Amino acid sequence: MKRSLRSWLWRVPIEQEVDEELALHVEMRRREGRPLDDADIEQVRRACLAIARKRDRDMRLVEWFGDVREDVKFAVRQMRASVGFTLVATLTLALGIGANSAIFALADATLLRPLPFREPDRLVSIVERTAASPHAPVSIPTFEDLQHQSRSFDGLAAIQMGAGGGPLVTGPDGAVEAVERQSVSTTFFDLLGVAPVAGRTFRASDEGPRPTVVVFSESLWRGRFHADTSLIGRTVKLNGAPYTLVGVVPDRAQYTRPARMWTLTGDVPPFVRQRSIRVIEVVGRLKPGVTHEGARADVATIGARIAAEHADVGKGFALDLEPVRDSLMGPELQRTSLLLLAVVGFVLLMCCANVANLLLARTSARAQELAVRTALGAGRGRVVAQMLTESLVLALTGGVLGVALGAAILRVAPAVIPPGLLSPAVALQFDARVAAFGIAAALLVGIVFGLAPAWHATSGSLLRALSSESRTTTGGRRVRSVLVSGEVAAAVLLLCGAGLFLRTLLVLVSVDPGYRVDASRVLTLDFSLDYGPNQRYATPESLMQFYDSVARELGARPEVESVGWSSSLPYGTTEFGPFVIDVVGDPPLPVDGRPAADVAVTDDGYFRTLDLPIVAGRRFTERDSAAAPAVCIVNEAFVRRVLRGRNPLGVRIALQRNPQMKPIVKEIVGVARQTHGWTTDRDEFLQVYMPPAQYATGDVYMVARTSRGSAQALTPLIRSVVARHDPNTPVRRDRTLEYLSVESTAGYRFRAAIVGTFAALALTLAMIGVFGVLAYSVQQRQREFGVRLALGASSPSILWLVLGSAGRLIAIGGAIGLGLALLLGRSIAAFLFGVPAVDPVTFSSVTMLVVVTAAAASAAPAWRAARVDLVTMFRAN
Amino acid sequence: MLHGSLDALILKTLTGGPRHGYAIAKFIEDTSDDAVVVEEGSLYPALYRMERRGWLEAEWGESDLGRRAKLYRLTRQGRAQLAAETEAWRLFTAGVSKILLAQ
Repeated sequence: MKRSLRSWLWRVPIEQEVDEELALHVEMRRREGRPLDDADIEQVRRACLAIARKRDRDMRLVEWFGDVREDVKFAVRQMRASVGFTLVATLTLALGIGANSAIFALADATLLRPLPFREPDRLVSIVERTAASPHAPVSIPTFEDLQHQSRSFDGLAAIQMGAGGGPLVTGPDGAVEAVERQSVSTTFFDLLGVAPVAGRTFRASDEGPRPTVVVFSESLWRGRFHADTSLIGRTVKLNGAPYTLVGVVPDRAQYTRPARMWTLTGDVPPFVRQRSIRVIEVVGRLKPGVTHEGARADVATIGARIAAEHADVGKGFALDLEPVRDSLMGPELQRTSLLLLAVVGFVLLMCCANVANLLLARTSARAQELAVRTALGAGRGRVVAQMLTESLVLALTGGVLGVALGAAILRVAPAVIPPGLLSPAVALQFDARVAAFGIAAALLVGIVFGLAPAWHATSGSLLRALSSESRTTTGGRRVRSVLVSGEVAAAVLLLCGAGLFLRTLLVLVSVDPGYRVDASRVLTLDFSLDYGPNQRYATPESLMQFYDSVARELGARPEVESVGWSSSLPYGTTEFGPFVIDVVGDPPLPVDGRPAADVAVTDDGYFRTLDLPIVAGRRFTERDSAAAPAVCIVNEAFVRRVLRGRNPLGVRIALQRNPQMKPIVKEIVGVARQTHGWTTDRDEFLQVYMPPAQYATGDVYMVARTSRGSAQALTPLIRSVVARHDPNTPVRRDRTLEYLSVESTAGYRFRAAIVGTFAALALTLAMIGVFGVLAYSVQQRQREFGVRLALGASSPSILWLVLGSAGRLIAIGGAIGLGLALLLGRSIAAFLFGVPAVDPVTFSSVTMLVVVTAAAASAAPAWRAARVDLVTMFRAN
Repeated sequence: MLHGSLDALILKTLTGGPRHGYAIAKFIEDTSDDAVVVEEGSLYPALYRMERRGWLEAEWGESDLGRRAKLYRLTRQGRAQLAAETEAWRLFTAGVSKILLAQ
């Protein structure tokens, strides 16, 4: 450094350096009597200049590195000298960067990162457009048409919906476990480009009417079967039937729904092979060179042909493509990611504003030091570089802490994020991309909040201020006021968003659930009995026999208070889905105008277990057998919406699952209290209950109410009783009714919690900003206040003066924030339920909240201003 | 003059303290009894090159004439270089001597 310092101080232009040096030489030679030729000297001069130029270039580089090192050392010294400032600034930044890193990981996974398949850009989903849905699954005949007629694809794969279930897997060691399954076509793995970890994936020769091959996921194979390679090629039992394990694939092969093993679809019963039964998801790989648009036109043509030839596809039928990412992530998740990204972006901006404010205040305080540096010949560039280095060091420290915080958030995230929000193919993880994002954000932030103070420090106003011994630097105060108003605006905006989400959540949880039982005391379990011709339960009687005997045995146990069966549960859990309804005797409605109601095959035990009141008519009884008159119970919304309030008892309705099935005609004998359907349903949920003996099904839920202790504790007992009656029937997903209730609002809860947290953070930051600006300006204006007091102003008037300036900042910021909230409210309307996007209650509460907290933040500085002690102050000056 | 030997001579000259360009040339010529003549066209480019390499450093001082003179001073790196060049020269002359002065 010695060298660079010397050359810094003594630097002259190199032309002068060379000329002077050579002139001396020429002079000496002349005196010695050996004069030199001018042309020779000119040649020497040029050679020297060329080398000197290179020398200086090298030196500048060395100097620059030296300067950076000095600046960093100085910055670190500064940071250590004011621990309080450093702590507040770095922690603020760490919070901002941490939140941003975590949310970036979510947005990256859902929006940016390539999907974990081979050439994911060439993968597309093919969907059916129907009157009811813009992206319905595809029916089996339509899939076969696509296979034969489309020309745009290298291949198509089918994933059967709902046929997964969780069969019991019995390993060679005899241990049994229920495992989520996906049923796919042989092309599935090859099409996605998923290579096996061990063994092989499916191949065309596996196909057949009842294929008995299975592929495991890596986690199932490693966890449950200890990565035993000898297992491959051997037999495992699925619900007691022998299957050959042919291979193991990575977990990322999960497509749209969780799965830990895959089987082949095989032949399906004839009633499933209908255009109106849409049971498969179709994914295709575009041929090289085929564009998305070209393929879309191709499938649209096939769709038009099908619509012309087959009336049973229904009105509005068409075939369409969508990017695989949309099917995997869903629009809601992508929207949520964007929303959260915007929210944390605002929070980061506020963190920047606060740190910039702190730095500005410090710059003013360091005016003396900066002036001295400038006076000593440090150029404006050097001072700016020094200030920028300080803010960059600060930002990087905050950034490293923030990235660590982000990693910690992502570690606990899986426990907080509602199940089903993320596609299983996408892992939310901390990796190099997230770290790089965090550090890049920190650098950007460092430059942004470093520039303002640097510019301010080197602008003339500071030096003028210093020389005239003035106590205020108005320019800085204006910048800081703008920053604080901006912060208040951002806080108000985020609070409005959080308020709307919170109100939505309150609306959802305050709706009467209908049942009167304490939801935590009811356990629900998912059953799937093999019912049908040539199955283990071949007749309705054998099914009823199973239901009755299991319910009777469990009901007799002291720890079980009540047991029932139903194919639907509250909050939209259903095995059948909607049936179309006709009221017998009413004039027929147009096909598309008929109401659809969820059908639940439910015994009386279900109503008793949930304490779901029958408000009119009678319950189901033993006498509602298969031979007895067909009866049903409807819910209150059914009476209101379908029967328009007329007396429902005795009315006969016809139910149809699809246009090909013969309608089932039933007489309404009772009305049950209304329960919840899907939380997102805007209409009241329609439901028809049918007694099990009159509509046999093997896909049901058991509900069991505990008489003491936790409901979950009933699971082992139920499993052992069921196993005694039928060892090959899986009992899956033991969840309490309370869990279902909470899960049904999980997405809303998640958004309200996250946006609420960030809004609280934003409010805190904004108030720290208000406090900082006021405290600083009070300190700077102490003399002015003193003079005012001396001239007869009263303490309260000073108090009001300070509060007034705070009020101005907050009023401006608040007005901007509310204005933005009015504008942006509509963009989150999709996430709201039962609350208007422009909600006076929310907006006025937010205003109140901001006013109260702002008053609290201003109180201390204002109080201090009003209590200026004249004597001490004037003595000090 | 043999290639590279000028650098060594300059370095050696500066072990006696900082000097300006003319004084360096003068010292070499005088000490070698004018056996070595230093051309300006070699001397100054060599000085600038050596400064760039960090063997020398320059500062402004005063000449005998009372004019500002650029004085060169040996750096630590320059001293190391001198030692290396001296050793190379010793080996070279010993080798050449063995041949030329052989009986």
